[in-house]
Amino acid sequence: MKEKMKHMIKSFNKQRQLWLLCIPIIIWVVVFAYVPMGGLIIAFVDYIPGMSIFDCEFVGLKYFRDFVMNPTFLQLLRNTLAMSLLSLTVGFVAPILFALCVNELNNKKFKTVVQTTSYLPYFISWVVAGSMIFIMLSNEGVVNDILLRIGLIDAPVPFLTEGKYYWVMYTLVNMWKATGWSAILYISAMSGIDTQLIEAGAVDGMTRLGVVRYVILPTILPTIVVQWIIGIGGILNAGFDQHLVLGNASTQAYWDVIDTYSYRYGIQLGYYSLGTAVGLMKSVIGVLLVWATNWFCRKKLDTAIF
Amino acid sequence: MSRPFYIKQTKSGKVFDVANVILMLMFMVIVVYPFINIIAISLNEGTDAVRGGIYLWPRKFSLANYKYVLNNDDIYKGTMVSILRTVIGTVTAVLGNALLGYIVSCRQFAGRKFMRILFLITMYFGGGLIPGYLLMTALGLVDTLTVYWLPSIFSAYYMLLCASYVQNIPEALFEAARVDGASEFRIFYQFVLPLSKPMLACIAIYVGVGHWNSWFDVNLYSKSGTWDTLQVILYRMLNQANALKDMTDSTMIAEAMRGIQPLTIRAAITIIVVLPIIVIYPFFSKYFTQGMTLGAVKQ
Repeated sequence: MKEKMKHMIKSFNKQRQLWLLCIPIIIWVVVFAYVPMGGLIIAFVDYIPGMSIFDCEFVGLKYFRDFVMNPTFLQLLRNTLAMSLLSLTVGFVAPILFALCVNELNNKKFKTVVQTTSYLPYFISWVVAGSMIFIMLSNEGVVNDILLRIGLIDAPVPFLTEGKYYWVMYTLVNMWKATGWSAILYISAMSGIDTQLIEAGAVDGMTRLGVVRYVILPTILPTIVVQWIIGIGGILNAGFDQHLVLGNASTQAYWDVIDTYSYRYGIQLGYYSLGTAVGLMKSVIGVLLVWATNWFCRKKLDTAIF
Repeated sequence: MSRPFYIKQTKSGKVFDVANVILMLMFMVIVVYPFINIIAISLNEGTDAVRGGIYLWPRKFSLANYKYVLNNDDIYKGTMVSILRTVIGTVTAVLGNALLGYIVSCRQFAGRKFMRILFLITMYFGGGLIPGYLLMTALGLVDTLTVYWLPSIFSAYYMLLCASYVQNIPEALFEAARVDGASEFRIFYQFVLPLSKPMLACIAIYVGVGHWNSWFDVNLYSKSGTWDTLQVILYRMLNQANALKDMTDSTMIAEAMRGIQPLTIRAAITIIVVLPIIVIYPFFSKYFTQGMTLGAVKQ
């Protein structure tokens, strides 16, 4: 024991410099990561700004109940689920199809150009993307102009001010921004395919479609499953920045999701406890969903993320 | 990986190849066209642009929008804040994560596992928006530049990237330096930093673009408007355009007389805001994907 202590002190002395470098980092992580985690307690108390959390009245699950009983809850849930289901279906398949198409391109240079162009929109902020959409989808914008010219519509369509277009617009804009980016994972998985596998298939008379069906798809299946599990876990994340930029008062019935509600009540209106409770509930459900999907995928598909 | 020579080219395969190229070209047009359209509108005379019908190039060419925007004090200030934020945020994050990566990959350091776990936990759990906001308020960071970069210096993800890179540097190099009496900090800046340049460049691009693009935290913490960045100025303009669609006031009418319209001004600001990204993009697109695939391998 004494020997061990001595050894520890000796090694501590030797590593004193590294520990010194660690001190500011530890302070940082405690302040900026662990204190907010502890701050989640305000979801369970009646938090009054300026008061210590421990002096506030403990109310248990009151704010969780308030949120679920709220008349707008069903609308929030509908919007959240509708938009994330669109992202999980259309938005999920698009990068896979795009990756397959890019992979079939014969000209290497063209392939690189297509790929590099495809993920450019990912690096544009939502404010910029929103500004472009505003200009292009307005009544005098280029989209309405073209639709009018080819005679598909008789009057400009108010894409931005009528709620019924919102979900489709959201899905398309998200796809514009993220398809190329999400495809990178699939394309890099495909580039790792052993050509011997395809050669062997070719000897047995495998066609091009056969290569896709029996070589490429099985290769990217684990990636697809991982992306799917992550996607399911994020089913209650139906966008945030997007709605703050694209949404307006006249379309609110269609864009108001759990996150924007939490922000509006929690920060703009100052109901800190309610807003925190909403956010916490969402994260807990997300974790449970990831866990359940992961369990299911391991059982049925033999692939999982943990 | 395209069609290998030993797979027979069929007739339908040829049709597919042609259709595929056309499809990809269309895809590229869809990705790039919005930028072209906005550039055309921003270079058009304001009152004329409002009529619509501008597709690829301006109908009445004019630089008035850019002149107006570049002479605007708010936008000048916003640009400065954006640049300051991006530079400080990137430098601190790159140095911070490199240091952290070195610490958690230093083999003879007893605390490396502790530090690693301390950060890995933050990857999966967090306080979320409101506790974070209350913390910044309590720390008095509202209306400061610090709030943009200090809370985002370290990240578990970049720590892992740095650590996996530093681990590949031969340990003997550090040992030799230690024998010669170099301090740990000196090893860090004389060996680790220069040797991990490619990875640091990758992180710098990522963090830099993130800082340039981020607007929500500015919207949250820049209450007095002193530290408004370009992104937030554009965001507030959009919000106004959204809310006051039919409202006109005297200044707007006066500006309309000079051929200045909110539409073309917005277009010009949008272009100015994305310009840095478009300019660096062709040179750094390699780095953009690196982070993504490195992360995928780690998973």
